[in-house]
Amino acid sequence: MSTAEKIVTEIETRGQGAFVESYDPSDERMVINMGPVHPSTHGVLRLLLELDGETVTKCLPIIGYLHTGMEKECEDQNWRGAVTIVTRMDYLAPLSNEQVYSMAVEELLGIEVPPRGKYIRTMLAELNRLSSHLVWFGTQGLDMGAMSAMFYGFREREVILDFYEMVTGLRMNHGYIIPGGVWEDLPPGWERVLRNILDTFPKRIDEYESLLSANPIFVERTKGVGVMSRKDVLTLGASGPIARASGFDWDLRRDMPYEAYGDVSFGVPVEKNGDVYARYRVRVAEMRESLKIIQQLVDKMPGGDFKNMDPKLTPPPRDEMNRSMEAVIHHFKLVTQGYTVPAGEAYVAVESPRGELGVYVVSDGGTSPYRCHVRDPSFVNLQVLGPMVIGSLVADLIACIASVDPIMGGVDR
Amino acid sequence: MVTTISAGDWSERAQALAADGWWLADLCGVDHLRIGPRDERFGVVVQLLHHERKERQMIHVTAVGDPPTVPSIAAVWPTADFMEREAFDMFGIVFEGHPNLTRILMPDEWEGYPLRKDYGVGKVAVEFVEQPLLQISTPGQGPDQAESKVRVDRLGQVIEEGDAP
Repeated sequence: MSTAEKIVTEIETRGQGAFVESYDPSDERMVINMGPVHPSTHGVLRLLLELDGETVTKCLPIIGYLHTGMEKECEDQNWRGAVTIVTRMDYLAPLSNEQVYSMAVEELLGIEVPPRGKYIRTMLAELNRLSSHLVWFGTQGLDMGAMSAMFYGFREREVILDFYEMVTGLRMNHGYIIPGGVWEDLPPGWERVLRNILDTFPKRIDEYESLLSANPIFVERTKGVGVMSRKDVLTLGASGPIARASGFDWDLRRDMPYEAYGDVSFGVPVEKNGDVYARYRVRVAEMRESLKIIQQLVDKMPGGDFKNMDPKLTPPPRDEMNRSMEAVIHHFKLVTQGYTVPAGEAYVAVESPRGELGVYVVSDGGTSPYRCHVRDPSFVNLQVLGPMVIGSLVADLIACIASVDPIMGGVDR
Repeated sequence: MVTTISAGDWSERAQALAADGWWLADLCGVDHLRIGPRDERFGVVVQLLHHERKERQMIHVTAVGDPPTVPSIAAVWPTADFMEREAFDMFGIVFEGHPNLTRILMPDEWEGYPLRKDYGVGKVAVEFVEQPLLQISTPGQGPDQAESKVRVDRLGQVIEEGDAP
């Protein structure tokens, strides 16, 4: 068979148009592609749908369109340099990624982070939860036809991104949290800017709630849609807001505290219904709890070192390098070669905005990670999507994708 | 807590652990080519979490044979479905009994397993094989216009001889 004949046969068997994979008139089921480029698939997620009329009978997520081999790239970087790779995985929660990677390396090194470093990291991770949930809020609203949600969500996110820029120098993909602490101390005036955010935000969240919480169209489209029972989410391995919306009361920040979470008090919002609306309620309530955590961390912010000052681990302060030859040598060694990490392995997990974010690192005693695997919550949570939408309408599928909140950078890594 | 078990015992052990309330947090492959003296090159590392006891444990499962093989636990913990596919895709570890063991992140026609230690970075010259349906031939352009009888448009539909613009 020539190439031309093959093309003809393929087109004939595929039916009309390239988007329809197959069509069997006898049982009226149609297999169609949704994505990878589709406004509601949040990135390059492709869903293979089997439809019976307007009802979804099967949904198969096909991923990998954003795969760039980041885990492999980590193996080519030194331990400090791999931070710049992991931060690009889940691009809406870069600080959580940096935090969990740094914690894993610290466990291998067996070092402690000074309290100020821990507080700064925890504070930024919570701000990250806010900025990430604001994107979710905007896209969830947009997908449900409430375009103003997008404008409001992104307006407030901008304020937080400005604060990131002030602290880390960048709006996204910061590379700010490093093994041993954070790269730089908080800049002068940070407290005034952050307190301003904390003062305005509760009112802003009320505003969001007034937009959607009692909006008849939004409620109609989300209540009772994409229902997952507690048993289902547990079996399928979902974590984070999806699991909590189905009544599974588990939060790593409270149940297995890490960094500064042991020093603050906060609630863990849990809902029973397990539908899209319950996930909406959980995420909005989480934003309020994050504000409480940040408030307490700012009030209690300790002084002292912001990173482990071991010169073999983190570069010495700039002014010391102007005076001390030894400091220059340390800096040179760190930049050109990096430090070695004792051979071993470690798995550390944190509660990212999307659930359990884990990093498994293996060291062979060298200056770069031997293996760096990231357990991304979006990757695991995406498996819930298939069972969630079976039997629902295509329009409800849109609501379900937004409520799973998958970030394709994290799914594909 | 770290335990190492062989591939033969894994299936039974996984069922016992699942019955005990352990939740599968993570599963990934590791290539031990340049690390430590080990009998087998590939292994699967499993992270488990117990919600009530608030404990974690790590299990190393040694993959045996060529291709390296481990029994699938997708029936015990359905969440292992994607994770095992990823380990297969990246390391070529075969999970026996997996319902749909295909590549998940790399293109289906990819050769080799990228996260293996003998798979170098930057060795691949061409990323994708030629796919005839994606070729777009515009009338009056392209060198192969003469020999190709059938032309397809952007949507993969055949352009008839007569209605070409």
